[in-house]
Amino acid sequence: MDKVTEIESTSRASFAPEQFRFNGNGAEYFGIWIVNLLLTIVTVGIYSAWAKVRRLQYFYRHTELAASSFDFHGSPIRILIGRVIALAMFIGYNYSLRLHSRLTILAVLALAAVLPWLLRNSFRFRLYNSSWRGTRFHFRGSVAGSYRVFLLNGFLTLITLYVMAPFMHQRLKAYQHDNSWFGRTRFSFHARAGQFYLIYLLLLLAIAVFVFVINKSGILGALTAMSQAQKHGGHVDPRAIFRTLLILYGALILTGILILPIFHALITNLIWGNTRLAEHRIECNMSPLVLIWITLSNFVLVVLTLGLFIPWAAVRLARFQLHAVRMFPASDLQEFVSAEPETVGAVGEEAASAFDFDISL
Amino acid sequence: MLQASYFNGRSSRVRAVNLSVAGEDLVVAGEDIDLRVPFAKVKVDERLGRAPRRLRLEDGAFCEVRDLNALDDLLSAIGHRDGLVDRMQRHSQFVLFACVVFVIVAFAAYKWGLPWAAAQGARHLSPAIGKTLSAQALKVLDDGIFTPSMIAEGHQHALSAAFHALRQPEGGTPNSALLFRRSPQMGPNAFALPDGTIIVLDDLITALGDDQQTLAVLAHELGHAHGRHGLQMLLQSSATGAFLAFYVGDISPLLAAAPAAVLQARYSQKFEQQADDYGAALLLHNGMSPGLLADALEKLTALQPAGSMGGYLASHPSTDERMRRLRLLAASLPAK
Repeated sequence: MDKVTEIESTSRASFAPEQFRFNGNGAEYFGIWIVNLLLTIVTVGIYSAWAKVRRLQYFYRHTELAASSFDFHGSPIRILIGRVIALAMFIGYNYSLRLHSRLTILAVLALAAVLPWLLRNSFRFRLYNSSWRGTRFHFRGSVAGSYRVFLLNGFLTLITLYVMAPFMHQRLKAYQHDNSWFGRTRFSFHARAGQFYLIYLLLLLAIAVFVFVINKSGILGALTAMSQAQKHGGHVDPRAIFRTLLILYGALILTGILILPIFHALITNLIWGNTRLAEHRIECNMSPLVLIWITLSNFVLVVLTLGLFIPWAAVRLARFQLHAVRMFPASDLQEFVSAEPETVGAVGEEAASAFDFDISL
Repeated sequence: MLQASYFNGRSSRVRAVNLSVAGEDLVVAGEDIDLRVPFAKVKVDERLGRAPRRLRLEDGAFCEVRDLNALDDLLSAIGHRDGLVDRMQRHSQFVLFACVVFVIVAFAAYKWGLPWAAAQGARHLSPAIGKTLSAQALKVLDDGIFTPSMIAEGHQHALSAAFHALRQPEGGTPNSALLFRRSPQMGPNAFALPDGTIIVLDDLITALGDDQQTLAVLAHELGHAHGRHGLQMLLQSSATGAFLAFYVGDISPLLAAAPAAVLQARYSQKFEQQADDYGAALLLHNGMSPGLLADALEKLTALQPAGSMGGYLASHPSTDERMRRLRLLAASLPAK
């Protein structure tokens, strides 16, 4: 590992921590959102690439660190090309799944073979097109590393029945963050697998409590009893079945709203709190309780407004998440140096998102 | 004079500068900076909310301006005009207009656009796709909740023969396969698969206890097969699912699933009516009364505990209304 930290500490004086800020506002974003939506529908989806750029630009440019905002530079045309390729792959993949033949296995194998490469490209595209103060980010993870993280670890996770999942998560984040650069300054990742296991254990515990409560409440018992009664010729009011299912679905949503935010807050705090940019420390203090409140209220308001609250919900969430992050500069943030320009395609990012891989940065 | 921050694109150093206009040039002046750039070479980023706006010079250098209104004055002085979309998304009246148009377009697409597209799609889709889908659905059902029929073989043959002898209003006899299956979980039921195959469950045959009425129900199912309702439903639900995922996907994938089912329900009522109409026409064409279908529906309703909707009728809403229509048809057009 070569140490290319081009930071010239001009003085040894301590530097005040810098808070990330998000200055977006729901009403403003609503205008962008609705125009994006309308143009995307009118152009049968073609505009969605431009919509994506505008959305990301809105969020990046309203995110500030040390009184300077971030920027997104991705080209809509590249994103569109990426989307077309992703769509073609998606259709091909789904079609071959329907066929139930040797072709299906072939398609799954082909997908497994290209996916790590696509995901690496998507990291590259996203980072290369992000900048702060005119200096771009970069992702320099190797292709071999990507296959190791996604294929080898993925395989290990499967054969160990997900016991390795927290380890795999740690390896993935290490691959992403250790290979990220800001200009010519490198990020590094320091969270250990044990810390991931602790948080996953908590998640498992919460799920176990949920299953226990569901069992105790007798909902599943009632469902089995009803299906048994039907099997033996008895008649069961279908509305009773519907009611029980509704309770179960509601409980599931409630769990999603309660447990997932806790997990998300803890794991994000761990990941960013253990990421450094050269010797500049980062700290992330997301409160799980506040995140639960935001998720719950966003959910209710989006449902009640048939989706029109979405822009406000997105802005609220972004503000909360970004305001939880602080940077502790070890030296002057003025002196980051940019790297040589390179060009990176968008195929990876778009293909990856079409196959539903939500990789949060 | 307009205050701005200058970045050279090679380092993260901020330099305070003043922007001004001199003839055809933009003048950038500040600590160790003194640039004159022709307007033609300056690329102006669009105004997004209250985010600082950037004037891009060459080689990745740019000026960042926070006083957006003062920048607008400077830009209009040099004759710069913001892009169309840029102006649209900031114009409150246009945003309101977009809102209204979006609601109208969404409603029209749901009410007319999607059914039309699904009907076209179902008509032009290769029959092989319907066959593959049906074969898979049948395999899943056979492995899961279906068991072989326990209706006597002679009875099955008689029903099959009567079914295949039906003359269709559009000419010819049904080329749909008729399959017999048993499934206590599904109760008295019959349905059409996407390729037109019709499955009738034992409970329906025994509950009706009248082969003429069973044939009437099969005529209704032929209506579904004739209208390719299965494929249309499939296409419609994929399209609504995709749209909802796109619409709320930003926030929560959890939200996308539930409303799709609600949106779907309305379409199925329309298909039931169409299938009833086709079934009635087919019955009349064969010298039978549409009242037979109404009788069958009545019997199935009576089987259910009061107030509940299960079995065959759960997937066939507003039974009273349907029986009324069918009886009206039977009364006005007596069987030949």
